[in-house]
Amino acid sequence: MVGRDALVGYVARFPAPVRTKLLAAFLLIVLLLVALGATGLLALREVEQRSRELAALQHKIDAFRQMQHDTLRQLYGVSAALAARDDATLASALRQINQFGYDLDRVAFVAGDDQALLGRLREEYAKFIAGATEALESKRAGKTMVLSEQLARDADRLERLSNQLVNRAEADMVNGVDASSATYERSRVYVFAFALAGFLLTLALGYTISRSIVEPVREIDDRLNRIAEGDFSQRVVVTNRDELGALAQHVNLTCERLQELYQRLEDASRHKSQFLANMSHELRTPLNAILGFGELMLDGIYGEVPERMRAPLERMQSNGKHLLGLINDVLDLSKIEAGQFELSLAEYSVDELVAGVYGAVEPLAAEKKLSLSTRVPPGLPPARGDERRLAQALLNLVGNAIKFTEKGEVAIEVAAGKDALTFSVRDTGPGIADTDQLKIFEEFQQLDGSITKTKMGSGLGLAIAKRIVEMHGGRIWVDSSPGAGATFSFTAPERVE
Amino acid sequence: MTGDATMSKTILVVEDQEDNRQILRDLLGSAGFRMVEAHDGEQALAMARSQRPDLILMDIQLPILDGYEATRAIKRDPALKHIPIIAVTSYALSGDETRAREAGCDAYVAKPYSTRHLLAKIGVFLEQPR
Repeated sequence: MVGRDALVGYVARFPAPVRTKLLAAFLLIVLLLVALGATGLLALREVEQRSRELAALQHKIDAFRQMQHDTLRQLYGVSAALAARDDATLASALRQINQFGYDLDRVAFVAGDDQALLGRLREEYAKFIAGATEALESKRAGKTMVLSEQLARDADRLERLSNQLVNRAEADMVNGVDASSATYERSRVYVFAFALAGFLLTLALGYTISRSIVEPVREIDDRLNRIAEGDFSQRVVVTNRDELGALAQHVNLTCERLQELYQRLEDASRHKSQFLANMSHELRTPLNAILGFGELMLDGIYGEVPERMRAPLERMQSNGKHLLGLINDVLDLSKIEAGQFELSLAEYSVDELVAGVYGAVEPLAAEKKLSLSTRVPPGLPPARGDERRLAQALLNLVGNAIKFTEKGEVAIEVAAGKDALTFSVRDTGPGIADTDQLKIFEEFQQLDGSITKTKMGSGLGLAIAKRIVEMHGGRIWVDSSPGAGATFSFTAPERVE
Repeated sequence: MTGDATMSKTILVVEDQEDNRQILRDLLGSAGFRMVEAHDGEQALAMARSQRPDLILMDIQLPILDGYEATRAIKRDPALKHIPIIAVTSYALSGDETRAREAGCDAYVAKPYSTRHLLAKIGVFLEQPR
């Protein structure tokens, strides 16, 4: 496994284009195939050689057998001639004996390495012919002649020698057959081993090449996905010294550039938000003083307020408070954007939260003669979250509902789900068209139209509510259609840890 | 309107903004309290030791030593730790209430406070002389 990966690493680091690597791999495979074919051919030729040798042996055996057969016939012929009286038989036997000499010459061609034995055979045969000719000549001369002891021994040796020749040839034949089958067996093993080795090598080659190409591609793809998700922290590690290595380097370079750009943008955005946060804080300080003095004046701390001055003073106060509300909204949102907005988590009572919101908006609803109701399931256990922020979110929704509803009712409802609470604010206002329902949760989105234009507001209430809800892990949405009122709802996990 | 100075309770106001101090001067004065002032956390500590106020209104965003530090220092002092401290913080700094309570503040008021609301909070700790 380690060796294989080392090989992949080596192929990856080898400084050659991918095309060359692929070409080299294919060439190697072709070479393997050629070698496999050549081995097969060689094996075939060896087997063919063996069978040719076997055929030659067969010829030799046939020739030797013929010779043995002929030898026996000579012996028989000579003894028959010696027993008979007529000259014709005697002449025929002599002729046959001479004819046999040619047979021996013929055998000499096929005998091969048996020449020594064949030489002895010739010698024995020469002796035998000499003996037999002498015997036959004496017989012809009229002498009664029996086969002499000497001749009989010669004949005997002759027979044994020819037998020996046949036996040796047959033994050669058996050896040849054995060798042939051994050769065949060996060739089969060679071809099979070669094929197996070729197969394994091709597999290893394919694995190495594809790994050395696919791995970097996957690595680069993975990195690009992360970059798309906004994670610029890592670099592609590709050891290839080919097109893929170059590609990886480009990806890394691009990633660095993107990171720089992203960082700059983020810094700029944070600075802007920080500036807004500081700015709104600075704006609030004098405004707080103005409101404080105004309140003291209205409370008569500096003496009785003349009746004609009271109404303008109150107008100053209410406009000042409105301005403060706007500044606070901007401050909230810029703090959220600058990442300085943290939840202050503690246990809280849902009943008290809703009651607090109710108390804050009740005068506004009464002023517009709207019916304001709350419904909270009894016996809810204490929940955990940032009570002040959740109340702010709910207050923004209820405030909006009261602002935009001219007659009818505004209802605050809480429903307890499995692990989450759902806060809903239902009104009988003008409703919101489908196309606007997503837009209203974005910053500074106020719906165009005569109704909204007459209403004061920063246009940040819903955006802030949305952020608060999302920071709690909940979601916010609206169900509405024009003319049928609107229901704004958000969920908050029962316990935010 | 002003109560007897010898009978009236003393409130230490720790606040770096002159306008805010003026408002509190007028408000607390009209409510019959004696008010002593400090402009930063260090002064607050010194004034608390020298004046032994009956209550401290502690702004959190202060120069030199911030309100949390000053509160912790006062609450560490056995001679001073019984003095109730009401933290006054800017509106939108979330987590302020928790942090104020952790530092040892006894109550918490977020700016902008209504003067009536502030008096009510003070009244929880001090009986109002009139």
